[in-house]
Amino acid sequence: MCEFLSQNQLYIVLCITLLIWLGIVWYLIRLDKKIGQLEKQLKKD
Amino acid sequence: MKFIASTWAIVVKDVRSELRTRYALNALLMFVVTSVATILFALRDDELNPEILSGMFWVVIFFTAMSGLSRIFVSEEERGTTMTLQLVASPSEVYFGKLIFNSGLTLMLSSAVTVLYVVVFPAFVIKSPLIFVFTVFWGSLGFAAAATMIAAVIAKANTKGTLYPVLSFPILIPLLMTVMKSTARALDGELFTAASGEFQILVSYLLVMTAGSYLLFDYVWKE
Amino acid sequence: MKAVKYLSIIFVTFVIIAGIAIPMVPQPQSLLEFPIIPGLEDKARNIFFHVPVAWTSVLGFLVALYYGFIYLRTKNLDYDTKSVSAAGLGMMFCLLATVTGSIWAKFNWGSFWNWDPRETSIFILLLIYGAYFALRSALGSDEVRARLSAVYAILAGLTAPFFIFIMPRIVGGLHPGAKGDTSGSTPVAQLHMPPNMRFVFFAGLIGFSLLFIWLLNVRIRVARMEHQLSIKEH
Repeated sequence: MCEFLSQNQLYIVLCITLLIWLGIVWYLIRLDKKIGQLEKQLKKD
Repeated sequence: MKFIASTWAIVVKDVRSELRTRYALNALLMFVVTSVATILFALRDDELNPEILSGMFWVVIFFTAMSGLSRIFVSEEERGTTMTLQLVASPSEVYFGKLIFNSGLTLMLSSAVTVLYVVVFPAFVIKSPLIFVFTVFWGSLGFAAAATMIAAVIAKANTKGTLYPVLSFPILIPLLMTVMKSTARALDGELFTAASGEFQILVSYLLVMTAGSYLLFDYVWKE
Repeated sequence: MKAVKYLSIIFVTFVIIAGIAIPMVPQPQSLLEFPIIPGLEDKARNIFFHVPVAWTSVLGFLVALYYGFIYLRTKNLDYDTKSVSAAGLGMMFCLLATVTGSIWAKFNWGSFWNWDPRETSIFILLLIYGAYFALRSALGSDEVRARLSAVYAILAGLTAPFFIFIMPRIVGGLHPGAKGDTSGSTPVAQLHMPPNMRFVFFAGLIGFSLLFIWLLNVRIRVARMEHQLSIKEH
């Protein structure tokens, strides 16, 4: 696999970009859930 | 027609209070003189081509306008006369009255700058006077239209002085770009028809700004 | 709303994979191959990311303008919240668009900034966002702030047609679709893209727009909660 990556270096860019993007998506989903919980709490009071 | 009478009354009131103190006129004139002097020192013997001169011409007008045109509404706030004005006249009368005053002021300002430039810069030769006059006239009116509206917007803000150029600049950019191009043409001695594209833009800018401001002024003026 | 969230993730992930991984060959034979554009080669892949981000910054402004206008009609402060949330997002995307565009310009056209009409337009949009927030920070009362920022957004919006339609007429430029370019002078330049590239490109536009909607939704919910909490404190 390392040989393949050193030949087609564009795929390294792809892996890095995907990693960054999926990290951001995970953060967003967590944030969204947290906000939903806070909203429910505020509604109770 | 009550509308015209009211509007004209506002213009007269502003002119009278201006003549009484001469504050704005003096400040603007001094600003123009100091700006032109600074430019003169900076560009002393350099080769001055039409593009640079036409650019500097409008730079001086822009900054002088920014230092002076906001007074129309800010002075009302400072003197506490805003509410009286709101009671006495309708928003559109106030708007057009102030617009006419500011237009007159800007026209005087650009004439002063023109005279100074012709005298001070030997390279500032207006080879196509028709293009130049047209550009300066419609450009000044467009300037006044945009600047008056922004003046109304910032009249109630905290940091009026610095906020005014910050808000006005993006709105004035289409006008500035067009007017600089057109003035460069006037200095180059091109035909009147060569600048027709720019003239269309100038007139349409004035119309769009005046119409838009007129429609929006109600929301700025009334509580 | 859930659909927006899932679709945005799917679309953007697709664009990242397709935009970066699909190879560029001189004579594309299948749907899974892009043509090589002379002068751009691999750098052309930027199109799939830079243009949607720039489009989203414009979208942010349009949404802020729309909600500002609705506020002026209804005087309901919730619309001001929506307007400023959209403007904040729009400004972030505008910064990203300017920076990514500048980096691309350095590698393609030689320098970081050229005052090409489209570069100038995004810069002006940045100035408008900056002025909008400067105005808001200088106004104390909620109602006055909402009213005046809506008016300014509309005024700034009035000048937009001048940039989109008129500037490219006056000033020649480097972006496709400028004065010296023979491939058409529409504001969104007709880039000659094969169907598979166009598919990825539009997926990017849609994906980033959906992402914008999701981010906006999150921001508005947070702002509303802050507002509720500040009321409760009094």
